[in-house]
Amino acid sequence: MKAFRGQPSVFGCTQPTDRQAELEVKKIFLSFGGVMALYDVDLTVRTGELVSIIGPNGAGKTSLLNCITGYYHPQKGQILFNGEEVTGHHPHEITKKGIGRTYQNIELFPGMTVLANMLLARHLYCDYSIGKAALFSSSVQKQEVHHRQVLEELIDFLEMQPIRKKPVGSLPYGMRKRVELGRALALEPKLLVLDEPFAGMTLEEKEDMVRFLLELNSGWDQTMILVEHDMSIVMSISQRIIVLNFGEKIAEGVPEVIQNHPEVVKAYLGETTRF
Amino acid sequence: MEVRKTERPDQQTVLSLCQYTLPQILFQQAKELGTKKIAIREKMFGIWQAYHWQDYLNYTRQVALGFFALGLKRGENIGIITDNHPEWLFSELGAQAMGAITINLFTSSIAKELTTMLNRIRAAYVVAQDQEQVDKLLEMKEQLSHVRKVIYVDPTGMRTYTNNPWLMSFKELLDLGTKIDATQPSLFEEELWKGKPEEVALMIMTSGTTGIPKLAMISHRSFTEIARKWVETAPIGIGDNWISITPTAWIVDQMWGMGVSPLTGMSMNFPETPETATEDFREIGPAVIITSSRFWEDLASKIRVKIADAGWMKRKLFALGEKIGGAVVDHQSQREPVPSYLRFLHWLAARLVYRPLLDRVGCAEIRAAVTGGHPISPDVIRFFRAKGLNLKHAYGLTEGGGVFQVQPDGEVKPETVGKPLPRTEIKIAEDQEVLVRTPSCFVGYYQDPEATKKALHDGWLHTGDAGYIDDDGHLLIIGRKEEIMRTKGGEAISSDFIETRLKFSPYIKEAVVWGEARDYITGFINIDFGNVGSWAEDRMIPYTTYTDLSQQPSVEDLILGEVRLVNTQLPKPMRLQKIILLYKLLDADDEELTRTGKVRRKFVHEQYIKLIEAMYSDLKELEVTGKVRYRDGQVGTIETKVRILTVE
Repeated sequence: MKAFRGQPSVFGCTQPTDRQAELEVKKIFLSFGGVMALYDVDLTVRTGELVSIIGPNGAGKTSLLNCITGYYHPQKGQILFNGEEVTGHHPHEITKKGIGRTYQNIELFPGMTVLANMLLARHLYCDYSIGKAALFSSSVQKQEVHHRQVLEELIDFLEMQPIRKKPVGSLPYGMRKRVELGRALALEPKLLVLDEPFAGMTLEEKEDMVRFLLELNSGWDQTMILVEHDMSIVMSISQRIIVLNFGEKIAEGVPEVIQNHPEVVKAYLGETTRF
Repeated sequence: MEVRKTERPDQQTVLSLCQYTLPQILFQQAKELGTKKIAIREKMFGIWQAYHWQDYLNYTRQVALGFFALGLKRGENIGIITDNHPEWLFSELGAQAMGAITINLFTSSIAKELTTMLNRIRAAYVVAQDQEQVDKLLEMKEQLSHVRKVIYVDPTGMRTYTNNPWLMSFKELLDLGTKIDATQPSLFEEELWKGKPEEVALMIMTSGTTGIPKLAMISHRSFTEIARKWVETAPIGIGDNWISITPTAWIVDQMWGMGVSPLTGMSMNFPETPETATEDFREIGPAVIITSSRFWEDLASKIRVKIADAGWMKRKLFALGEKIGGAVVDHQSQREPVPSYLRFLHWLAARLVYRPLLDRVGCAEIRAAVTGGHPISPDVIRFFRAKGLNLKHAYGLTEGGGVFQVQPDGEVKPETVGKPLPRTEIKIAEDQEVLVRTPSCFVGYYQDPEATKKALHDGWLHTGDAGYIDDDGHLLIIGRKEEIMRTKGGEAISSDFIETRLKFSPYIKEAVVWGEARDYITGFINIDFGNVGSWAEDRMIPYTTYTDLSQQPSVEDLILGEVRLVNTQLPKPMRLQKIILLYKLLDADDEELTRTGKVRRKFVHEQYIKLIEAMYSDLKELEVTGKVRYRDGQVGTIETKVRILTVE
């Protein structure tokens, strides 16, 4: 019944310990040849927070995300997730530790259906052998049913029922972004890293996305890091904001503080502009 | 065509159930069918979730007691603004079990419409679907002081509303009911058995093509009676599937959900979302279906467009199938024996063409498909009957308790609306108005004794439709009595007759014909954006909006061609001479259509009088400024030029 919506029986019902996401980035340095992408950057994220990273183009926002998710390896510094050192680990190892992400440019399989794309993320939780899978034994069956249940709860949450079986390639851009969020959530990540989830969306699609993110954060206690250019969204939904400029952190604080921070206004928004 | 075996409900049981109220019938069925049969299915989380008759009763019981705990008194009115979901049935039957009267409103209505209606019935409680509906009500809260509580079904997005004491979730209502049930287990049955079948159970808005909609009061007995008529005539079995896709505020789903389903043990099926309805329809494969004529018109044009896009083989097979099916239908309607070679070809075509095609659109299991609401083009009926689909025309009125006139099997004539169901009498008044006498007739209009007196004389219901009875006893409907036009030359013309033929074209969505006291017939045409759009794309014709597409010269030629084709089928005085392709779709939000999709002619006439006058002058082009009302109440304007097209 629709009356029982928003109360997932599988997803989001994990123990509080499974939701724990304490991220600590300590003084990392990253350079490509002579270009300093990140210079002495610190970042702390606590469980249940929604933290945004903003900055002008080329400020190093995506580089920072790539360091956290293992795509880049910083030359100096340390990244700790739940007290465990993850610096220099590969992306698939970091995913296993509980960090899921979406990409600035959509990275889905266009020829596969929405369901298949999302199901792919569940391989993390499959522990049966090829032989058992081929025979579709009862334990495999049980696992597969469980995976589908998780996905269906996400599909219901993200309101993707009409596109469940459509190939991703046939979907409009905003919908694909939503599918990507769905896939990242299917990992049941402790920390969700979102790289410009609102880019290129229509106003209506943005409103939907904001609704999902807020609901995720407040209803399901999802910890999130958000990189975004749309200031009105960032200011209205973030609990804390970090500002990067030319690879350096120039400010950090609650939206009200950032809005009036002289460095930020100067570096990022131009001398006279205020928002 | 082979069909599933049906388990017919026992006539004796049905008759004995007729002495109860609707919630009492549910109570009896839960005792009888319990957990053996499925009462309700709803698609959620990608699979069909089933509820047995016992579950159905349990939820209804909780809702009923929840309302009781809130302070609902017998005879009070409750407004229900829900989509097609089980919660609708639970709320409606639950409220009725406590002696309340329910009214379903359209979820697509704007805030003002909802408020007007809720004010009129002084609704004590409102069950609203989701945040969207709650927002509409909150906006008008000042005027809704008689509403004691708003109960919302879908909690999505309602997190920030939790502190508002005016609101309550459906789940809280159920919990409240459970709590009462634990302390006073006999309360529900005590209240339930206080109900009498002759009391008013619910009210339904009549479509109101003229003026504000009236509220028809329907008693429990009206619905049990109409359900009994259906059991006697239609091939309905216990556990057969009905799919609920028409708005709950409309008589059809009310008649089935409240009347036929509880009485016969048919299962109600609810699609996952409105967007997935087509897919869910196919998965369920309903046994009986009653929908508006628009559903069949849309389906027919969708099939035609898809076939046109299909490969050579499929196109040829389809054309061949059409020919064979058409020939068979012709023989049948002339009551001639079908030659054996044709019978064989028909049998073959059924396997090669018809069944796969009907399966694709989810109609393979249908035993009786009925169209009603608005006259349908005989061509559409022919189209589906030629494919072996038992599509019939039916006729009914909200005031008559629903559909009471159906074409009997074996004597289907495409242009008639058939014969009366059992215990129904039809006669034609002197001015050609159709009069009906049936026990399923409504009680009267709510707080409108004058209109009631006009509609009901000595038990005869005045339908307001003009018609006649043919030699075989079939009823033919000409059109609304007030919409019969007379041209300057004195010819009587039915606008419906012309419009339904125009609408059979896959490229024409809506047509409104004019000619009252004029020299010739003219018409407005709304193109079908989807079908004309893909037609334009195939021909590399660029377009942006509906307005732009409708004014493209090549589209004008396309539509003119379609109109010329229709003109050849019409007698001379009925032929269209000039048309205008309207720059916007007629819309219920602009009050141009009723919520059930019928054109409000008087309103459209006033709104577009300039365009109409232009068609009776020598003008070739006209500049117009049109208004468009958006869902949030804002009004936008369209400035464009329309061309007046002459049909040679």
